[in-house]
Amino acid sequence: MSVAIAPPSLASPAQDGPLTRVWRPILGTREGRMGVPLAGVMVILIVVGRFAAPYPPDKIGVAIPGSAPSWEHLLGADGLGRDVLSRFLTGGTSVLVTPLGAVSVSFLLGGALGLLAAYRGGVTDQVVSRLFDLLLTIPPLLTVLVLLASLGRSPLIIILVVGLVFIPWVGRVARGAAQPVVTNDYVHAAVARGESTWWILRREVLPNIAAPLIGAFSLYLTSGIVFVSTLSFLGLGDQPPSSSWGLMVAESRGLILTNPAAALAPALGIAVVSVSFMLIADAVTRHVLRDTGQGRPAR
Amino acid sequence: MTEEALTAAGVSVAYRRPDGSLTTVVSGVSLTLEPGRVVGLVGESGCGKTSLALACMGTAAEGGVITCGSVTLDGLDLLTAPRTVLRALWGDRLAHVPQNPATSLNPATRIGRQLAQPIATHLGLTGKALHERATDLLERVGITHPTQALRRYPHEFSGGQEQRIALALALSCDPRVLILDEPTTGLDVTTQARIVTLLQGIITDTSAAALYISHDLALISTVADRLLVMYAGEIVESGATRDLVHTPRHPYTQALLAAQPSAHERRAVRGLPGRPPGHVVIDRCSFAPRCRHAEPECVAEHPVLQPLPGSRAVRCVRHDRLEFSAQPVDAWALPAEPEPVHILELDGLWCRYRKQAEPALSDFSLAIARGDTVAVVGESGSGKSTLLRAIAGLHPPGEGIVRFQGYRLAPAVRHRPDQVRRDIQLVFQDPDSSLNPRQRVGEILSRPIRLFRSDVARHEEAHTVTTALDQVGLAASTARRYPNELSGGQRQRVAVARAFLARPALLLCDEVTSALDVSVQATVLELIADLAATFATTVIFVSHDLAVVRTICRRVVVIRAGRLCEDGQADDVFRAPRHAYTRELIAAIPPPPGAAGSRRAT
Repeated sequence: MSVAIAPPSLASPAQDGPLTRVWRPILGTREGRMGVPLAGVMVILIVVGRFAAPYPPDKIGVAIPGSAPSWEHLLGADGLGRDVLSRFLTGGTSVLVTPLGAVSVSFLLGGALGLLAAYRGGVTDQVVSRLFDLLLTIPPLLTVLVLLASLGRSPLIIILVVGLVFIPWVGRVARGAAQPVVTNDYVHAAVARGESTWWILRREVLPNIAAPLIGAFSLYLTSGIVFVSTLSFLGLGDQPPSSSWGLMVAESRGLILTNPAAALAPALGIAVVSVSFMLIADAVTRHVLRDTGQGRPAR
Repeated sequence: MTEEALTAAGVSVAYRRPDGSLTTVVSGVSLTLEPGRVVGLVGESGCGKTSLALACMGTAAEGGVITCGSVTLDGLDLLTAPRTVLRALWGDRLAHVPQNPATSLNPATRIGRQLAQPIATHLGLTGKALHERATDLLERVGITHPTQALRRYPHEFSGGQEQRIALALALSCDPRVLILDEPTTGLDVTTQARIVTLLQGIITDTSAAALYISHDLALISTVADRLLVMYAGEIVESGATRDLVHTPRHPYTQALLAAQPSAHERRAVRGLPGRPPGHVVIDRCSFAPRCRHAEPECVAEHPVLQPLPGSRAVRCVRHDRLEFSAQPVDAWALPAEPEPVHILELDGLWCRYRKQAEPALSDFSLAIARGDTVAVVGESGSGKSTLLRAIAGLHPPGEGIVRFQGYRLAPAVRHRPDQVRRDIQLVFQDPDSSLNPRQRVGEILSRPIRLFRSDVARHEEAHTVTTALDQVGLAASTARRYPNELSGGQRQRVAVARAFLARPALLLCDEVTSALDVSVQATVLELIADLAATFATTVIFVSHDLAVVRTICRRVVVIRAGRLCEDGQADDVFRAPRHAYTRELIAAIPPPPGAAGSRRAT
């Protein structure tokens, strides 16, 4: 028997919109209070920074190649004499957009497959789960290397190929979260009403696993950022003369003694972006853990 | 008679709220437990019964404090005794049987070790003597093959056996006082009856003093010598069981009795609207907001517990001016006479679950007349829920034919026409699981309208939802709330409203009241009977509770191990059961409150 205390304000979280419901608890954690402003600053820098670039980012010879930071060139110049600050301010886009696209692709495909596997069970579940296992056994960098070599290196293809890497991870999260949900009678009630599978997954199941999925999204976004940066460092992503951060690190690593800023600035950029999203992921996971403790009133 | 085992005087318990203030949930309760006698404590969930039981053990749940009073056991005040003294007492002279044995027995430890612990600690027995005592105990609570049982883990036993083991654990050191907190709630009727008989025997044999807590008045009045009725943390009425159930003086006792369905006669139940306040009310009568007899004088001041002749007491200012009959007399409108047409025919259904050797339903045939109210009765695992799921098309039968309104139905619901999906509606056992926690009540209710009610235009949907909520006795504002903001009874009403919004010809009810308190159960039963009459719906009502079945059904079908045992008009089946299993079920029904068959008259 529950003790006779009035339930502690269960009413308020349920009455807010879904956005408030997610953001308020995130900002309530220490990780959230650090991660959200940090990510905000980086996103603004990446989106707006290009307009503040003092020189054209790919103009060669605006400074002495490999020169150290000075008042004209705050972060010095790279091996071709390009202004590092201008390149830094314009090169962050792909660090953010490509992983975002890739992880979204993996959530659409992997999430849908995972949900379907949990809902249908039986053979569907077996096939989908083995497919996930198969994808997990292939080394991701190798797969992407082969696929990019054969399919070309347009940004869209990079997004799809990197998305493929994350499909089994996301799919397993979605399947695991949905499995306890699909046994609920409200799902059976929807089946008995004759709702379509798509409708049931979207309206009855998805809202109940939104919290773990949001947590997984920010987590895999972090991995995606590092993965995409690795690709461009290896020369598999953006091609010169792009100022993509990963590429900048690769091109300038020989200058580490004359102008360390040329390699360190983009490396730091990548680090801060991924750490900030990691902090948000942590905050969300805490929120998720708390949520599952309170979600259903005890019987 | 004068020897007292445990005395509680003026006990109050409070819980600390997150903001640091205290909420009093038990206030000034006094009780006396005597050897060999059972005191029953009855009331709805949230009235403070468990808090009081823990206080009698000298402790409180997490966040709780005993603010005043004394609990005396053999001259020792448990509330001032140090923890080490209490620990030596618990399980030795003072034992507790919790509500759910599944959570009180350690799932990772063999029964033998769990039983050995108190015996070794309190009685100092070891080796062979210890083993002998453990086997003795298991034998006493009716576990067959006790020696093997000692080596098994709790999950290898059924719910009833687990409760027996919990009882053995409590009895391990011959306690002088037994605190039983809803020991049979959640068990089957037959199992319940066996446990109660066992308990009675043990209490007589060991002359332990017992406090028996339950919300089931019918059950508690078969075991208890004295009854305490608790509401909002206070005793509102006390007296000998027989007097109390025959001449209840407090409106709350009266309401509990009126809500209690009876398996002995077909009679109306009257629900008790609202729910207990959840804390002690000090400035007026705490029951006044829900009381049918409330007058301005009831809210003027807090009534005191007035002693009455015959060692009774009642906390009601109007008790001497109120006329109560012991039983509600208004007859329940019998369901309309069924038409001589079959709405549903089942022919040779076989259902299996993949991992089980035994089929859940074997060669099951049944025909149901249009407009009838049919109960399907059986123990858990008898296949009664599978039957409903097969009819609804959620668990397609492996073999056999389901014919509805003369047409043969596809086994799976997704192959059935929309009209059939509309005509057959299902209400599930647990509203926690049948209402999506992420959808507002309004969204939940508008879905069947959108799908099945072509007569309702888009802009009239909101109005139709409001009307449906009103029909089930909920405010229009409920539409904007989420299920977790509602009480269990309110949630089940939303589920009933959802089913009736489709205007079904056949309503399938799967144990719809088993998760609810008796007072709430009555309102839901009333509601289903009412709506079924209004919309001329045929109802199939699956339940393990015979009293509920008797209350609302015209015909009874008894099912065991997937086979039909008995089928007949409710009155005939209850009066003269033909099948041996039906007789067993009916014999397990507790006698009517206060009848001659009850344990003791004094």
